[in-house]
Amino acid sequence: MPGEPLVELRGLTVRTRSRTLVSDIDVDVRAGQVTALVGPSGVGKSLTARCLMGLVDVDPGLAGGSLRYPGLEADRDWYRDHLGGGRSEMQRLARETSALRGSFFTYAPQVAASALNPGRTIGRQVVLAMARRTPPVEDPGREVRGLLAEVGLAPRTAGSLPQELSGGQCQRAALAVAIAPHPSVVVADEPETGLDPILRRGIIELLVRVCRDRGCGLLLISHHEDTVTRIADIVVRFGTPEGIDA
Amino acid sequence: MIAAGPSLPIVRVQDLRKTFVLRGPWPWSPTREVEALKGVDLELSVGQVLAVVGQSGSGKTTLSRIVLGLEEPSSGEVWLEGRRWDGLSEAERQPRRVHFQYVPQDAMSALDPQQTAAEHVAETLRVLRGRSRAQAREEADALLERLGLATRRDALPRQMSGGEQRRVTLARVLALDPHLVVADEPTSGLDPKRREEVLEDLVGNLPRDAACILVTHDMATARAWCTHAMVMLDGWVIESFDPRTAEPRHPYSRLLFDPWSAPLPSGSLATVGCPFHPDCPFAVDACQTVMPALEPRSGHRVACHAIHALPEPRTATL
Repeated sequence: MPGEPLVELRGLTVRTRSRTLVSDIDVDVRAGQVTALVGPSGVGKSLTARCLMGLVDVDPGLAGGSLRYPGLEADRDWYRDHLGGGRSEMQRLARETSALRGSFFTYAPQVAASALNPGRTIGRQVVLAMARRTPPVEDPGREVRGLLAEVGLAPRTAGSLPQELSGGQCQRAALAVAIAPHPSVVVADEPETGLDPILRRGIIELLVRVCRDRGCGLLLISHHEDTVTRIADIVVRFGTPEGIDA
Repeated sequence: MIAAGPSLPIVRVQDLRKTFVLRGPWPWSPTREVEALKGVDLELSVGQVLAVVGQSGSGKTTLSRIVLGLEEPSSGEVWLEGRRWDGLSEAERQPRRVHFQYVPQDAMSALDPQQTAAEHVAETLRVLRGRSRAQAREEADALLERLGLATRRDALPRQMSGGEQRRVTLARVLALDPHLVVADEPTSGLDPKRREEVLEDLVGNLPRDAACILVTHDMATARAWCTHAMVMLDGWVIESFDPRTAEPRHPYSRLLFDPWSAPLPSGSLATVGCPFHPDCPFAVDACQTVMPALEPRSGHRVACHAIHALPEPRTATL
């Protein structure tokens, strides 16, 4: 259902031993909507996105906040038992949430050409991504063709290796891999890096259209203000890195 | 020092064409020809900064590689500082190369992972400028300080941020007092604030008698830092203007500079006539058969049959 809350992150605060990386950040992701994290490099945008997926790879890590996935378990706060627990608790949190990554969450990478497996055909990589789906897919071939068509690739692309595709085609293929498991939330970390303005708009629009059509939430990390203001339903702005030093 | 007069361009390129022959995986596979440049003219004088703007595959990088002598043109002429540059042997080029410098796109892979910032600059000065060890170190420190990297002089590339890495590659180039700097997307992947810092370091510290070619995707960069802009499409130059005072007029350039201003093109380029005509809202019959020339001969030049039908551009507000 559009607008239904999928992720509620409240008051996220993450510390290393010497400084605070992000402090008191709220992020909502809703079905069929776009949430954008905007700000310069080094302010914790990617870190926040990772924390939202249960990956906190800093020590001691979580100092405050709560994380709920209302669509999955309405009352569960995934951070509750791990706050202030240091590295071992962060690893436990990552294990508890590991089944969600690749099924509930998927990831559209920054540079698709290097994120795709160079030794496997596009079709095979989409099939492998679909394996996380329940119930299992009955006709993988047809499903692959459908997914490729959805991102604007020809059916024969399924037999191509990533090196045979252009940068824009790789980006589309990576998106097909990202939506193959029927995720609830797609996390896209600067998917437009290195693309020219026209290609960039094409990819962003595709990403937004596919996510809206499927009713999944899109978490978009970007530093292109003009892109974000046009497409995002919810914008979370991050301050300058100087501003959050403890 | 006698400054070179405005009459002597640093770069002059005439009717430059380049065709690549692509071979298939096997000896008997058919070959395919790709025309990367289809007759490019260019003139750049002291103090000018040229933005070369275009999509991936439009020939920007091929043009900059030919200007630097890293690639031979199929036809056409390249003159650097009044002397012929294309068709020379490497031995003839070598003594002049130090004047024409290149700033790479990927700073991390252009830097030696085991050398500090200061060592990168000092080594360049020692090898290419024949400075003594002590002198090179002194000059390197002075230059790094000028670029605001004084506190990072002993940092290794992996300890630096993306912006700092790029500024080290800039310091290394500026240390040589180049007459021409060609920078291939020096700011790709940086956020707006760091992009400004890198460009400030590059354009703000260019030697007085130098010119610069900036290959870029970013209109804001062209407007803020460049004295000329040249828009490329599929090997053609379709527009050439002063980005500080004028807005682009060609329908394709406008889309490139403001991609949200019009419906997104299908992305298919025509092989005959103007490459943009299938997506162009102003296309006339001639566009399907003949590629228009850049008109008029000076000032704001546009290659478009429908030039008079185009809406008047807004004047740039700075």
